[in-house]
Amino acid sequence: MRLVLFIFFGWILLILGDRVGDFKLYQGSFVATYALAIASIILLTGYSGQLSLGHSALMAVGAYAGALAIFNAGLHPVIGLIMAALVAGVFGLILGLIVARLTGPYLAGTTLALAISLPTLANQFPILGAEEGIVFDVGLPPARFGEDFSQYKWFFWICCLASLIMVWFIANLVSTKYGRTFRAMRDNPIAAQLSGINVGRLKVTAFAISSGVAGLSGGLLVMLISGVSPSAFPLSLSFSILTGAVITGLYNLKGVILGGLVLVAIPEIADSLVSRVGGSEGFIATFPGFLVSALLILAVVFTPNGPGHLIKKHHKKK
Amino acid sequence: MIRIKSMKRVSIVSAVIAAGAMVLTTLPAQAATPGVTASEIKLGISSPTSGSAGTAYGKIPGAMKAYFSYINANGGVYGRKITLIHRDDKYLPVLAATRTTQLVLPDGDGVFALVGALGTATHTKAYKAASLAKENVPDLFVNTGYSGFGDTTKYPTTFTVLPSYAMEAKIMSKFIKENFAGQAVALIAQDDEFGIDGVSGFKAGGLTIASTTLYPQSSLTDARAKSLLTGLGALAGKPVLVMMGTTDVTATILKAAESLKLESKFTWIAGSVGGDANTLVGGFKVEPATINGMLAASFFPDAKDTKDEYVSQFMKINAKYNKGVSFDNVVLQGMNSAMLTVQALRAAGKNLTREGLISAIENKGSKFVGAGLVPLNYSATSRVGYNGYWFGQLNASGELKPFGGKLSIFTTDSGDGAIQASNFKRPTMPKNGIPTNS
Repeated sequence: MRLVLFIFFGWILLILGDRVGDFKLYQGSFVATYALAIASIILLTGYSGQLSLGHSALMAVGAYAGALAIFNAGLHPVIGLIMAALVAGVFGLILGLIVARLTGPYLAGTTLALAISLPTLANQFPILGAEEGIVFDVGLPPARFGEDFSQYKWFFWICCLASLIMVWFIANLVSTKYGRTFRAMRDNPIAAQLSGINVGRLKVTAFAISSGVAGLSGGLLVMLISGVSPSAFPLSLSFSILTGAVITGLYNLKGVILGGLVLVAIPEIADSLVSRVGGSEGFIATFPGFLVSALLILAVVFTPNGPGHLIKKHHKKK
Repeated sequence: MIRIKSMKRVSIVSAVIAAGAMVLTTLPAQAATPGVTASEIKLGISSPTSGSAGTAYGKIPGAMKAYFSYINANGGVYGRKITLIHRDDKYLPVLAATRTTQLVLPDGDGVFALVGALGTATHTKAYKAASLAKENVPDLFVNTGYSGFGDTTKYPTTFTVLPSYAMEAKIMSKFIKENFAGQAVALIAQDDEFGIDGVSGFKAGGLTIASTTLYPQSSLTDARAKSLLTGLGALAGKPVLVMMGTTDVTATILKAAESLKLESKFTWIAGSVGGDANTLVGGFKVEPATINGMLAASFFPDAKDTKDEYVSQFMKINAKYNKGVSFDNVVLQGMNSAMLTVQALRAAGKNLTREGLISAIENKGSKFVGAGLVPLNYSATSRVGYNGYWFGQLNASGELKPFGGKLSIFTTDSGDGAIQASNFKRPTMPKNGIPTNS
C-alpha cells in the first residue's frame, strides 16, 4: 500500500516536471533535497530520540565523499551519490559508537561542535580543495531524453527519485520491529533496556542510517550548486533542517515534503514581503531569520506533534 | 483504520500543496531575446546587501538603479527602460549560486544580462552553477579584481572592470619599495583566489614580505586580529602593514589596533576593495584619527573631489535618485559601472541580442567613457577593464589625496609585464553624464 502511494506520488512529480519552468524545477529539487535531510532528522530525533545539532556536518561528509568519488576517482555520478550515502553512513556509525553514551544536551553539544569544526577541516587538506572546493558534476542529461530536457529537469528527476526511494525506505523501516524498538528507546530507555532491547546498539544503528541519509542529501545539495565547499554547510543549515522537522512534525514522516517546501519558501516569502513593505536596512536583513524563528515558536506552542496531529484531532472531534 | 486514513490524507494533502506551489506560475512564452522587450531591458545583479559585506558594499545596487533611473528619465536606451533586478546573496557562494540561477532562468527573473556581480568566491561558484557560459549570458563589469575572470576559456561571457588584485599588488610593490625601503612588510589577505591573486602580484612585483597571514573569507575575528597585531608589533621600525581584504575585515584590524594603541606603530596600506574611508568611519565606526595618513590605491578620482566633473555629476544624480544615501567611493563605482553598461547597451544597437552585446564591448569598449583615470582595455582578445592605479593618502576627513602631492598613475598587467607610468588623458564627460555613443 505504501509502495503504491510512493509510486503514485512519483508519477505526479514526473508529470509536474513537464509542466513547470526550469526555475520551479530548480526550487523543487531543493525541496526534495531538504525533505530528505528532514527525514534523516525525523528518523534520528523523532523516532530514536537522539538530538543532533550537527547534521550539516554529516551532509558535508557525504557531499565531499561524493565529489571526490566523481571528480578524483572518476566514478559514475550515481556511484558518487551512493558513495555519499555510504561514507556518511560509516562516518555516522563511528560517530555513533563514540557518542552512544551521551544523551540530551551532551549529545547535542557534541554534534554542535562537529557542525562548527568539520567544514573548516576542508581548509586543512589540499585534496579537499579548501575554500574553492571540489566540482560536483553529474553531467548532462542523457541524450535519449532529447534536446528540450534541461539540466534542471535532470536535477529534479535525480533529487526526487533519490528522496522518494530513501523516504520510502525509512517509512518501511519505522513501521517494522525496528521502528517500534526505536520509539520504545526514545520514550523510556530504561524500560526498553529492561525488556531486552540493546539500547546502545540501536542508538548507533539509528545514527548510522540517519547519517547515511543526510550524506545523500548533502550530495544532492552540492550537485545543485555544482560544487562542494565548506561554505555550503554552515551551522545555520543544521538549525534550518531541525526547524523544518519541528514545524512539520518531528514524530512523523508525513510532513517532510511540507518541511522542504517551508525551507525553500520562507526566504522567498520573506524577500517579497520585505520588498513590498520596505523598511530600514536592519529590518530587511533580519526579517527572514525572524520569520523562521517565529514559525518555529508557533509550531512548538500550537502543534508540537506537527500539523498532521491537528488534522487528526479535528477529525476525531467530528 | 482511522489512523491509516488520516495519515494518507495528510500525505496526499502535502503532495497537493507541493504540486500547487510549483504550478503557481504558468510557463512564460519564450521571448526571442530573454529579458528584452520593445520597452524594457532587464538586467540582474547578485550582490550582498545584508551581513558585514552588505555594510561594505550594499550601496552598489542602489547606486546603479539611481543612474539607470536617470537615463530612463532621459529617453532610456533607444526608448527602452532599464530595469535592474537585485538579489541579495549575503556574500555566500551557495546563495550567490542560487540567486544567480534565479536571475537568469526564464521562469525566474529572466534577465537579459548580469551586471556588477560581486565577490570572487561568490561569483566563481555562481558562474558555474547558473550555467552562464552555456546560456551565453553576458556577465558585465564584475565587482571583483580576481584576475581569473579575464580568462575567456573559463568565463567566456565575463568582462572585468576593476583592475585585478595582481595588478594592484604589483603597483603597490613598486610604491612600497620606492617609499618605504628598509621597513618590514606584513600582509594580511583573504584566503581564496582574491588574496592569492594579491600574493602572486607581490611576488611579481619583487617585494619581500616578512609575514603573510591568510584568513578565510570575512572571518577574521577581533581576537585573532589583536593577537596578529601584537605579534607584528614586535617587528622593528615602522612596518608596512598591507590589508588585502574586504572593508569589514579592514575595519576589524584597524579597531583592534585602536584598542591595542598600535595605530601609529604601522604604516597602514588598504587594498582598494577594503579601503573606502566613508564606509570604514561611517559604517564600521573606525576612528577618523586612525585612518588619517593611511595609504590607499585608487583608479578613480576621490569621491569627495567635487572639482571632478564625473564626481559632481554622479553626486547630482545620487541626490535626486538615491535619496538618503551618502555619496562615497562605493556609490561612485556603482554609478560608473552603470554608465559603462548604458554605453555597452547603446553600442549593441537597437536590435539587442546577447551575442551583439558581447561583441559590442569587444569592439567598442575601449572607447567607453567613465570616471576612471586609467584606460579600459577591452578588445577582441581582452576582457580586462581598468588596468592601473594611483597611490594616495587619506586625511582625517576621509579624502584620498595623491601621495606626495602629485598624481602618478601606473598601469600594468596581471602577469609579469612591466609597470609603466601612464599618460592616459581621460575623455571629457558627455553632456550631463548621458552617453550618446552608438
